[in-house]
Amino acid sequence: MWAAMEAHDLDVLVMGRMANMRYASGVPILWNAGTRPFGPGCVAVRATRDIYLLSTWDEGVPDDIPHDHLYGITWNPMNYVKVLQGIDARPKRVGTDAMSPLFAQLLPMAFPEAAIVDGGPALSQARRIKTNEEVDAIRAAIIVAETSMAAAVADLRSGVSERQLAGVFMDAMASAGVTTPLTQDVARIVSTRGSTAGEPVRAEDLVAFHAGVVANGYAGEVGRTWPVELNGKTAAVTELYRRSDLLWAALLDACTPGAPASAVLQAYRTAGEPIPTLPIGRGLGLGYDDPVIVAALPTTAATERLDPGVVVVLTASVHDDAVGSVITHDPVLITADGPEVLSHAPRWNPQNAGAPA
Amino acid sequence: MGAVVDRDATGLDLPSVPDFARMRRDCGVRLRSGMAEAGIDALVLLGNSNVSYATGATWPLSDAGRANIERPVAVVLADDDTPHLFTPFFPAAADELGLDDDHLHGPTYLDIDEGVESFAATLTGLIPGLATVAIDDITGAMHQRHELLFADWPPRAASEVMGTARLTKTPDELACLRHSLWITEQAMAAVQERLQPGARQVDLTATFLHRVFELGAEANVLDPIWQVMPDHQADLPWTTHGDIACPLLSSERELAKGDVLWVDAGISYGGYHSDFGRTWVVGDEPSARQQAQYERWSEINTAVLSVMRAGVPASDLTAAAMEVCDGERPWMAHFYLGHGLGLDSAEVPYVGTDLGDSYDHRQIMTAGTVLMIEPIVWDEGHSGYRSENMIVVTDDGCVDLSDYSYAPYGN
Repeated sequence: MWAAMEAHDLDVLVMGRMANMRYASGVPILWNAGTRPFGPGCVAVRATRDIYLLSTWDEGVPDDIPHDHLYGITWNPMNYVKVLQGIDARPKRVGTDAMSPLFAQLLPMAFPEAAIVDGGPALSQARRIKTNEEVDAIRAAIIVAETSMAAAVADLRSGVSERQLAGVFMDAMASAGVTTPLTQDVARIVSTRGSTAGEPVRAEDLVAFHAGVVANGYAGEVGRTWPVELNGKTAAVTELYRRSDLLWAALLDACTPGAPASAVLQAYRTAGEPIPTLPIGRGLGLGYDDPVIVAALPTTAATERLDPGVVVVLTASVHDDAVGSVITHDPVLITADGPEVLSHAPRWNPQNAGAPA
Repeated sequence: MGAVVDRDATGLDLPSVPDFARMRRDCGVRLRSGMAEAGIDALVLLGNSNVSYATGATWPLSDAGRANIERPVAVVLADDDTPHLFTPFFPAAADELGLDDDHLHGPTYLDIDEGVESFAATLTGLIPGLATVAIDDITGAMHQRHELLFADWPPRAASEVMGTARLTKTPDELACLRHSLWITEQAMAAVQERLQPGARQVDLTATFLHRVFELGAEANVLDPIWQVMPDHQADLPWTTHGDIACPLLSSERELAKGDVLWVDAGISYGGYHSDFGRTWVVGDEPSARQQAQYERWSEINTAVLSVMRAGVPASDLTAAAMEVCDGERPWMAHFYLGHGLGLDSAEVPYVGTDLGDSYDHRQIMTAGTVLMIEPIVWDEGHSGYRSENMIVVTDDGCVDLSDYSYAPYGN
């Protein structure tokens, strides 16, 4: 992070985003679902390499963040201005990852001599290449996501509901010692009839499982689609899975070290599959990292590189109007020797039908 | 959304099943009337709860690290009954939200330059150039290109409108909150039944999460807290203010007989969050001293509820609580005596924060506001007691929506 601040000429970084606070401080922070309004949760000072953290207590705080660098929860925004003013850095350039209209007024008060600029590019640069320790943390999270998904898949049967399957997943995840999901949309009917909240799964349905957990601050994510029972659609279902497997192979082929992220978009075209609206690749790490690979951002995809050390979740999504969709999500580590697939969850094929777990 | 249990013993005349279309309409009317009053032509909303309020869209909320990037965005125009929704989540569900193709847009990527430029182009088509725009959150990339998005910098704050609109709940919103709490309490009963020495904190979480999803929860909204409270504050972590440290994260710690557990959890249903707080004793009955802590807590709670009604300032509530405690504040220094609840787990109004008495004096309770009242009793050397209840403010008092026993301390 210090190198990225140097490269982007930032004297101070003020962070309000949970992922950045986790990254900069290494401190486990109480998990709430959903977006949080902006507040200065963590401040990094380049000249002294000091980290200041919004934390009322020191539990889980490493020794390199001393007590006088912790500041408590406050409801008065002017108290945050005082905290920032108390950081004796006299910065010329201050980066932030976000702000609110209120902090758009308060940040210049806290740093009257500084230009307030977008800190996002510096944080992206710091976070996009993972260290070995970060990759280990991601691997550990993926294992919990996969074992918990396997428990939910094992419970897939006619009559079960999407939320019951989510409950089985959450139970397995917490029993494995991890209580914080990355996503909570665990199971979704993706047959042509679509998802209707509360209605149970039918024998002829396809169900997409999307498993994500956050363990020790790092995210693990994987997804598989399973048929409940084949029920007379064998040929069409098998064909859709065959297309899914071909697409997945093409996506993986695109992940050569140094390739542009747009190669992943190109893989869809090569496989003859329509590119979905949603991202087909997104960085994995602290929640939602770079690169984001989506058809709507072609310039971004052409500029981003799949450099060694990037971890990206690739989504293979194929659709047939008569059957529905098959969607898979797989985390891949780009190495100098090529892509390493970090997931091990089985995929459905005609041979292992009925034995998903 | 699943069956909603009818337990309207509240006298609030709530619908047994929330009418989501009516709720969406009512919230939209409030929002646009607030915009007219504040002279705001367009609201651009990025916060999950604000988007839900403006559009009625709900989805299983994700981890904050992800939710801040992969998120729906709403644009509300003062002269259009229908909001615009930009969403990465299952566009098919938009049919239920009454959005036509003109108002339903694909996802935006507002942390990325290219995403901001593309969103700005769409926004320009919706909002005339000199319009007054208010917003709730500004990404770094939006700040960098603010001239594409806003005629004035800094833009107006959406909270000017959102806070007031969201402060008082419609009957359908109250029905959502009541059901959200019902799911939570049912699941907590299953956890408390299995509470015994040797169980790990994460095992309690496993049981809780399994049960809430079975009962139809949309999402968990807080990593459940099962904090073991020691007898002495010195056995808790160091704090910036010298008060007790709470809430602390759950772990694989095994619970022991006699452990005092401060429990805190919440889920969402229809977008609306529950909040649950109780104190339990693991595998044991409370001592006479602990029982007395609970009696004191009840006294404080009763004192606060006895002055609660529409029209009273928040400072009357804090004064009532402090009077029971010889002028001491019976709540944690970093929190409050009470907080609002709705589409966020904690929202306005806040009662007893470090904003001070003059702020509390200006905050007037209104009928239809939902409040969590959460005093604590800390009895140095003998641990302490904390519970919280969900109440609705009414014209002549308040209604307690919580329906969970205080066992093992009381009923």
